[in-house]
Amino acid sequence: MNRIGRPAAAVAALAALALLGSGCSSKSEDASAGTGSDGVKTGRGVTEKTVQLSALTDLTGPYATLGKSIVQAQKLWADEFNKAGGVCGREVRIEVKDHGYDVQKAVSAYAEVSPDTLAMPQVIGSPMVAALLDEVEGDKILTFPQAWSADLLGKDAVQVLGTTYDLDMIRAVDFLTREQGVKKGDTIGHVYFDGDYGANALEGTRHAAQKAGLKVVPKKIKATDTDLSAQVTALRGEKVDAILISAGPTQTASLVGVAAAQGLQVPVVTSAPGYAPQLMDTPAAPALEKTLHVVSAIPELGSDLDGVRKMVKAYQKRFPGELVDSGVLSGYNAAVLLGQDLEAACEAKDLTREGLIKAHRDRAAGDAGLGAPQDFTDASQPASLSAYIHRPDKAALGGTVLVEDARKAPGAQEYLDSAGE
Amino acid sequence: MSDRWVSGRQASGRRVSGRAALRRVGPARAAGAAAAVLLCAFPFYLDAFWLQVGLFSMAAAIGAIGLNLLSGTSGQLSLGHAFFLAVGAYGYVWLAGEPGPGLPPAVAMVLAVCLSGLAGGLFSPIAGRVRGVYLGVATLALVFLGQHVMVNAEGVTGGFNGRSVPPLEIGGFTFAETDPALVVLGVPFGAEERLWYLGLVLLAAVWFSARNLLRGRPGRALSALRDSEVAAAAMGVPVARYRSAAFVVSSMYAGLAGVLIALAFRGIVPDYFGLALSIDYLAMIVIGGLGSVGGATAGAVFVTALPLVMGRYADQLPLVAAPGATGHAIGPTEAARYLYGAAIILVLLYVPGGLGGLFRRRVRPPTPPVRQPKEQTP
Repeated sequence: MNRIGRPAAAVAALAALALLGSGCSSKSEDASAGTGSDGVKTGRGVTEKTVQLSALTDLTGPYATLGKSIVQAQKLWADEFNKAGGVCGREVRIEVKDHGYDVQKAVSAYAEVSPDTLAMPQVIGSPMVAALLDEVEGDKILTFPQAWSADLLGKDAVQVLGTTYDLDMIRAVDFLTREQGVKKGDTIGHVYFDGDYGANALEGTRHAAQKAGLKVVPKKIKATDTDLSAQVTALRGEKVDAILISAGPTQTASLVGVAAAQGLQVPVVTSAPGYAPQLMDTPAAPALEKTLHVVSAIPELGSDLDGVRKMVKAYQKRFPGELVDSGVLSGYNAAVLLGQDLEAACEAKDLTREGLIKAHRDRAAGDAGLGAPQDFTDASQPASLSAYIHRPDKAALGGTVLVEDARKAPGAQEYLDSAGE
Repeated sequence: MSDRWVSGRQASGRRVSGRAALRRVGPARAAGAAAAVLLCAFPFYLDAFWLQVGLFSMAAAIGAIGLNLLSGTSGQLSLGHAFFLAVGAYGYVWLAGEPGPGLPPAVAMVLAVCLSGLAGGLFSPIAGRVRGVYLGVATLALVFLGQHVMVNAEGVTGGFNGRSVPPLEIGGFTFAETDPALVVLGVPFGAEERLWYLGLVLLAAVWFSARNLLRGRPGRALSALRDSEVAAAAMGVPVARYRSAAFVVSSMYAGLAGVLIALAFRGIVPDYFGLALSIDYLAMIVIGGLGSVGGATAGAVFVTALPLVMGRYADQLPLVAAPGATGHAIGPTEAARYLYGAAIILVLLYVPGGLGGLFRRRVRPPTPPVRQPKEQTP
């Protein structure tokens, strides 16, 4: 009796203490929501002095190089933006969280930063984006994912910048038929990653090939496959006249290198994630320069666009000796567009999460001065239909030079209309 | 008679230490109660990050207790734990969601756990035929099979992008941000706070059921199986039945862990349920100490929480650069990985019995004076 009584009393006492203590828990304070002294409506992530942005990136996993480029580019933007006065008299701050391409780490990092975040200019990794998609939409945090699958469309809070993978491939097929001598009745191979990137790209290829009267030979690979000899041999057996590849840079290098070694001399086209300037230091470089083309929603780094030139100069000054690749431009582009959203929201005197999304969705011609303008008004449609065609070049900054300026692929609009039905 | 195998080395040791502990039951129980109160008070103080880490740890603990039953106690090496977690998680999402039958979430939860058990039961004939490392490799196949199904059966699993998880609802109370909105003692109770208590209740239920299982006849039979199947069979343990029962029960625990993880994630993707997850669970029970419930729990917290917490605070350490710094500086994530690796090595070197052993030694020191006379009796 006595023995059971004592712990029970202890439990009761502890419980009482805990409940009393919770009265002074910092969690019971209400989150800051209301109107600041300057008449601007604010909510989570915005204080009198700062606007908090967060980036969920990969600095230690397979996309470490890309992650680093984007983080540094956005850091550069934040410094410039704050130097120019910030937004509504507030400084922007970017909290960078590295998830190392691990879903659980990304989810927990999101839980950590999301209560005090207004927007996210960067989220890397398709699985991470997919796992967080609903939460981001529910929390109304304006997010620019560094992933371009059409599956990510249709969310008010999530903005895919530029073209989606399927549109890239429609553009690629258009380029092949116009410039590379692929004609009706020919066969094209498409090597693609198992997952949303590859599946979405293949959808575009299938549509475009059907319109152009081409036969498609799909070859699915895994992200862990780095030697594509078997795929090249199979495609050679099918007598393909061109190859599309929706995979990583390693796979592109293997495909092009093996094809050259086997004497398969056909044009190869990939989209932006399938190429990295580091490939130019590999033995596959000569073959890449000869046969590869890259579809990209953003201009090449050597572009004579004012915005690009200024950005590259500032970046090289701020981070001397660091690699300048397309990740730098795409990260900077996202940050500039977000900055414009912030300014528009500030003008409307509404810096809440809802206000920012509204300001973003009101822009029909978002132009960062870094390539084609984008239309953000319809969340279910890609922001842009135009893409550039680049060619690898060892000597060029960022490893690519321009082949064709941004243009809409014929049939892209029709493809989107048919998908909407 | 049939009771003879109960007095094996393992069981008698446990019984003696149990009797010794009986005298100290007062303080031990008080410590347990204090821990329980502390755990119940956390949601009033900790922010969403910590509660999320706690939830992941609780889910992992439930899964690890299940794996411990299978691999630690009955000696069947399994690399397929991630598969059973996935069956639980996806089972719940499909049963409670749209597309799917759209059952009440509480029913879906129970059915998902049963579904995992069924999957374990279906696999157990294979487990009955292969042993040791060979069984480990056979279970490995489950992980790859699961990955393939998760990515390709889009109608059920949502494919590569996975599916969002419908919140759990019991009798009109939803484990989500609102509905009903809840403020307890001035602290707004969101999804994390509510799920925290759900996790605690589930973990407690699993803890006690597993402990009773291990301390009772089935537990003794399973340890006898691990030490020698022939001896166990000779003493009247139905070998095949116990081996497959261990698989079913362990899969059910894994299924429950999967449901809790799904609820904590609120969006599940196939990428998470890969081989690395299975390895993590093996690491949990090894670090925690094979064969004990407390050890499995401690190991689960160690493996799950440590990297997340280190990742958050590593940038406070000296010589650690900010993420994305120029050059080849060590960032917080790298620093956290080094520290985590070092911690694992330290545990394995200096606490070979696992974290559970460390705990046991602290609470009740070894009792050779009691054991000696016992060993002299025939």
